[in-house]
Amino acid sequence: MDLQMVIVGLGGEGIIFMTRVLVEGFYRSGHPVISTETHGMAMRGGSVTSQIKIGDYQSPLIRYGEAGMLLGTSVVEAQRNRPFLREGGTLFMNTDQQGDYCVDATKIAHGLGNPRGGNLVLLGYVLAHLAPAISLEPFLEVVKGLSPERFLSGNVKALQEGWRVALKADKKRRKGKGIRRHG
Amino acid sequence: MKTKKSAGNVLLGNEAMAWGIIEGGATVVASYPGTPSSEIMGAVNGIKSEHGLTIHTEWSVNEKVAFEVALTNSYLGRRSAVMMKQVGLNVALDPLMSSAYTGVEGGFVLIAADDPGPYSSQTEQDSRYLASFAKIPVFDPSSPREAKEMVKRAFDLSEQFEIPVMVRPTTWVCHARQGVPLGRIEGGDGAPTFKKDPQRWAATPRFRYILHKELNRKVREIATKNNPEPVFTPQGAELAVIASGVPYAYAYDVIKAMGQEKRVALYKVDLPYPMGPKIDDLVQNHLQTLILEEPYSVIELQIRCREKVRGRLDLTIPSEGELTPDNVAKAIATILGQEVREIGEPPAGGRKPSLCPGCPHRAAFWALKKALPKGIYPSDIGCYTLGLNLKAVDTCLCMGASINQAAGLYQSFRQAGAEIPPIVATVGDSTFFHAGVPALINSVHQGACFVLLILDNGTVAMTGGQPTPASNGPGKRMEIEKLTEGCGVDFIRVVDPYDVPLLIQLLKEADQYAREEERGVAVIIARHPCLIYGGRDEKREEGEIIIGEECDSCGVCTKRFECPALQEGPQGTPVIVRALCVNCGVCLYVCPQVAIERR
Ligand code: SF4
Ligand code: SF4
Repeated sequence: MDLQMVIVGLGGEGIIFMTRVLVEGFYRSGHPVISTETHGMAMRGGSVTSQIKIGDYQSPLIRYGEAGMLLGTSVVEAQRNRPFLREGGTLFMNTDQQGDYCVDATKIAHGLGNPRGGNLVLLGYVLAHLAPAISLEPFLEVVKGLSPERFLSGNVKALQEGWRVALKADKKRRKGKGIRRHG
Repeated sequence: MKTKKSAGNVLLGNEAMAWGIIEGGATVVASYPGTPSSEIMGAVNGIKSEHGLTIHTEWSVNEKVAFEVALTNSYLGRRSAVMMKQVGLNVALDPLMSSAYTGVEGGFVLIAADDPGPYSSQTEQDSRYLASFAKIPVFDPSSPREAKEMVKRAFDLSEQFEIPVMVRPTTWVCHARQGVPLGRIEGGDGAPTFKKDPQRWAATPRFRYILHKELNRKVREIATKNNPEPVFTPQGAELAVIASGVPYAYAYDVIKAMGQEKRVALYKVDLPYPMGPKIDDLVQNHLQTLILEEPYSVIELQIRCREKVRGRLDLTIPSEGELTPDNVAKAIATILGQEVREIGEPPAGGRKPSLCPGCPHRAAFWALKKALPKGIYPSDIGCYTLGLNLKAVDTCLCMGASINQAAGLYQSFRQAGAEIPPIVATVGDSTFFHAGVPALINSVHQGACFVLLILDNGTVAMTGGQPTPASNGPGKRMEIEKLTEGCGVDFIRVVDPYDVPLLIQLLKEADQYAREEERGVAVIIARHPCLIYGGRDEKREEGEIIIGEECDSCGVCTKRFECPALQEGPQGTPVIVRALCVNCGVCLYVCPQVAIERR
């Protein structure tokens, strides 16, 4: 697999947790991966960007116009960081707006009774677009390993639900324009 | 969400280096926190407790202390490591220079983490320069995995040549994540043996000359074997890129992305100092050579004939700021005569850094501005440097300088016979322990008169909440009151800065003592635990903070006090961001209309 992805959002939203799930999951899936996070100094609630490169890469930094995927936990941050996307790259957003690759992960997480699980729903949703190059199992294992006991089953469900929702949406889209595969 | 520890072997660069230290068999490890190096020690302590190891680890009072404690274990034939940020090495420069001469018996690894950019330092200096200045070898890792391996190689090299060895990671190694294979935890060294050898360990200048000669021999020998490693070696390449550290990683990715690995040769340097003879041959054998390294030019300066060499010295690469994949790509494309893809500006916006909501420093700075608005405020290194936003920080030079600069201000005005303004130095507790104590002794002894406001939040907050000498430890806890008293200060008051009116009153009294009565240094200790690393469970008064009708949208609370929980609403009226407000109540003292109340 050869994929560069950027995750953007605000401090305290769990971007680092998402990054760890992805990086460890790809690593367990047997893909070489390197990543890094950037955030403002001593600041809560500031912008956080994390960059993940899967494939034959040596440095963790992604150039503008090279990311195949951009994940935004908020619309504002996602728009601001759009230049990271390469031509034909995909922007995934957690939002209640309609649109391709938009998913209301927060609402889905609430529906699952896990209001903090929005990020994991989004992750599951994104990962489904990488199937069949990857399977969800290694990522589920990582989530189990990283989640504190009381969030464990809720987090696992959130990741699975995101994956499921994406497959469903993908089926619909297939009828229209055909599937878009990544990686 | 509080997460459990790593489920796999995916490690942060700093964690990887911690594993390198443990697997390398270090028995004494010391550090002073500083971005981007701080997490190394935290990880060493984590591995230590998880595996029941008995190594001695300590957060020392400053870098010089850390260096000397660790070094001595290596005098005794055992392996040791010391970690710090690049400007921390300035503080430890004295023992670094001297220990290069004495050498070591057991492996001694110095990790100095650089901050090209800079992101959170007062300079973007290059620690590799200090390695070459001290004449010790330096490794320059390009990834977390390599950083761990290099720490272990550094121990071996150090022991083989009886010389201290530096490992110099930069931010994107320290804070990158990667799968890192773990090895075995070795047992550690045997019993310490001190071989008395005064001509080495206590050498007089005459013997120092001999030690210097010995050091030069070691460096020459290491250099002969140190040549750039070939990575891409296409036949007849016109351009050779020679790179070390993270810039090597950029070069690898960029050359591949450009599809130029059949045209451009790439060589990797693990040890940027001391370079061997081969690099000059490489330069001679190619039409052009591009040297990629950061933040300064260490490899480039060791090349004898630089006519065909491009890099930071001829400004092919800007000579300040960090290298990025972009400027590396631009430099390579320009040399190859290819079109340069224009890249946009980095995303603007984002919030500017600010003290946390409810931060006790904000309360203290507010009181300071109220009590002595005409003052000059030398300050220091820590979260509280952000007192800049409240215009309560006038200088920030280096660790501990606030106190000396307050004394300098006083001496200057006094010598000129000019009217002396209120002078208030602000310094954090950890910075005070680090370099403030000798400064205070000097100020008192030299008869300087000023106010010293010690912002005591009980932790090294900016770097992640490491302990200070006032924290619980294996030995005694230091008390700042007693320490300042021991330094000869007679005026010492302790106050909670949340009590803004009391702090204002004390500041005025202190200024009177120091300035009008010219009786010396007046110390106020503003003590309140850090909101993030100590005050989480703090009890707060009941009742929500609200903005009453008296508010005339003057903007004092949002702009001048700038608590992130107070944000400007639609008509310029402040709104309280409930998710951020910690209910500290300090803003109650701030509003001139007394519109902010607790309900
Ligand atoms: S009480 Fe006032 S000063 Fe304290 S956090 Fe809330 S808004 Fe900020
Ligand atoms: S300081 Fe008081 S009057 Fe001024 S904007 Fe804030 S609440 Fe309103």
